[in-house]
Amino acid sequence: MPTPRRRLFIAHLYPDLLNLYADRGNIQTLRRRCEWRGIEVEVAAVSLTDELQLGDYHLVLLGGGSDREQEIVAEALRRRRAEWRAAVNDGLPVLAVCGGYQLLGSYYQLRDGRQVEGLGLLDLVTQAGPTRLIGNIAIDSPEAGRIVGFENHSGRTRHHHQPLGRVIAGHGNNGEDGWEGVRYLNVFGTYIHGPLLPKNPRLADLLLHTALRYAGLPDHLDPLDDRLEWAAHEAFVARRIES
Amino acid sequence: MLAIWIGKLALWTLRLLGRKGTSLPGQLALRLNPRILEALGRQLTSCIVVTGTNGKTTTTALLAAVLRVRGPVVVNTDGANLQQGLVSALLVHTDWFGRLRTKTALFEVDEATLPRVAAVLPIRWVVVTNLFRDQLDRYGELDLALAKIRDGLQQTDAGLVWNADDPLVCRLGAETRRQGKPQVSFGLHPDHLQPPWRDLVRDGAFCLACGNRLQYDGFFYGQLGVYRCCHCGFARPDPDVVGRLESASLIVQSRHWPSPAAHGNRLAADPAGAGTFADQASIALPVRGLYNAYNALAAISLLAELGFQPDEIQAGWASFQPPLGRMQVFATRPTSVLNLVKNPAGCDSVLRAILAEPGDKVLCVAINDQAADGRDVSWLWDADFELVADLGGVARCVTTGMRAEDMALRLKYAGYPPGHIECVPDLAAGVAQALAAGWSLGGLSVYVLATYTALHPVAQLLAERVVADADPTQAAVHRASVS
Repeated sequence: MPTPRRRLFIAHLYPDLLNLYADRGNIQTLRRRCEWRGIEVEVAAVSLTDELQLGDYHLVLLGGGSDREQEIVAEALRRRRAEWRAAVNDGLPVLAVCGGYQLLGSYYQLRDGRQVEGLGLLDLVTQAGPTRLIGNIAIDSPEAGRIVGFENHSGRTRHHHQPLGRVIAGHGNNGEDGWEGVRYLNVFGTYIHGPLLPKNPRLADLLLHTALRYAGLPDHLDPLDDRLEWAAHEAFVARRIES
Repeated sequence: MLAIWIGKLALWTLRLLGRKGTSLPGQLALRLNPRILEALGRQLTSCIVVTGTNGKTTTTALLAAVLRVRGPVVVNTDGANLQQGLVSALLVHTDWFGRLRTKTALFEVDEATLPRVAAVLPIRWVVVTNLFRDQLDRYGELDLALAKIRDGLQQTDAGLVWNADDPLVCRLGAETRRQGKPQVSFGLHPDHLQPPWRDLVRDGAFCLACGNRLQYDGFFYGQLGVYRCCHCGFARPDPDVVGRLESASLIVQSRHWPSPAAHGNRLAADPAGAGTFADQASIALPVRGLYNAYNALAAISLLAELGFQPDEIQAGWASFQPPLGRMQVFATRPTSVLNLVKNPAGCDSVLRAILAEPGDKVLCVAINDQAADGRDVSWLWDADFELVADLGGVARCVTTGMRAEDMALRLKYAGYPPGHIECVPDLAAGVAQALAAGWSLGGLSVYVLATYTALHPVAQLLAERVVADADPTQAAVHRASVS
């Protein structure tokens, strides 16, 4: 039986401001893993001057930037807070990394004590710490298994939601409580880049599943030859986490 | 005095151990006397500085090869471009009484170091190659690098040799001109423009004067190109020195080299007939690739300003050896060419240069993640490896080093066929595998990219495999690059 035509619309928010840490790798991973399965995919690079219609997309990616850039984005996001809240509660899949993750919360407190107000979608706050938490990281996620990558953030994040996973090695949300990232409805927040998705194909496919379901499309995903992906994942664990 | 002795002792000890000592002697001396750069620097009569993100080391080496024809010059080599590197280089030319025997210096200087050394060196000229984002500085703080160089320039009366194709550097040129200091701009001939189709997010793509997006007629590489701002009129000026690459020669137009008809035949006669234009000289390049043509053009622009003629430059470059890992050719079987990669813009320009070389080839990418490489390898995903898949001509890719698997994955997601990727983490085995692949595919050249800590071991491995009786085709490759 022929598979019905499937097409996903993905928004990459503000790549001209939030383009730290190779977000391009996450997009490329989602794009290819769709193409290899005959799923059509369109990625829109949305800039601050564009009118963002959240309803047009099945998955939204929010990356990280410098403090200055993040403040500009925070202001733009806040103006559409009601729309964001409605979309997220309706199940809009969101992948937020680093700065984008912090922006989902109530505020980000800078070193000078000033608070940059976030989207307030999550019961989550971030405070700038005295040092940057930098290094290789591995976490254990109930939904996506082991997730590996790199983290580089001075923010210490605390929240009352489900975390994305438990830290096996590295710092995670704040370097203290042993949790990393956030899971809320179809929102995925994390400090892990490197980029996040290429070496974590289970997580990449979980996002695609979620997006297909949200789009009302058949959500089966044909298996792919992921030997190279797992080789990179396992080599990273062997050489950078366990040794 | 003690600082000088300790520094010189360290220098001698390292030499006895067969090491170069480009940094440690200066580091020791600086610890004993933090003002030693000033003590030695004030004994110089003149100093030339090369700064910018990419191309510093090669541009410095190209300048040194010509300047040394006229006399000894203090030069820091191998990219030792922080204060300790400058001091180490000066110590080589200092006697045990603290007297500097050589009075002119040529220094490659890190952008952030420039403002800290500008006041204590008699800088006459500063060459700014370009400004790109480095993989270690991922905070979009390019404005900061620009501010550092500006700060350095303002502490001197130095003239500026600057890249007119770079909108960020162009700001410095305009400021220097306004201050009435000497300045010379250089740029590539529009023949080399690439259409703006591969338009990724580029550094400096916004006008620094008014903040609007710059319009480009085309790109040379990275954000270098022919640009203008439609809002405030900021635009690429016509460069004073223009270079056009023709096979292995650079055809250069400079106001200092008037036409052969009017001034006898001091200009190098060009058998290819390019000398038909009135005011241009053809100079054979000892380095390969378009980005190296930029480095050569920067060097030529300054040398012409200093009164050097094309035949003198040519003579100086006759025995030039490219610095480690800058399109460095090894007479292995098959031929291999080694390149350092350290950030997305530099990596893109190396990839373009390699892919423009004739014939099918084998690509070998060695990625380490030690501190000097950057522990975060996410920059690989900002580099344009899609070029490898899109432009074709790469018959096989071998990835090696501590992050060989990450690199293999990068190529797969760039659209390169996974069946043609071989992942061999051990460096020695990886290099051997790449050469074997090149050989089995009919003698295809092997192009090796290596991050900083992989570079020296790979160079060593390739040097060990150089065949004494290189076959005639390989010898020809060498001649073409130096003649």
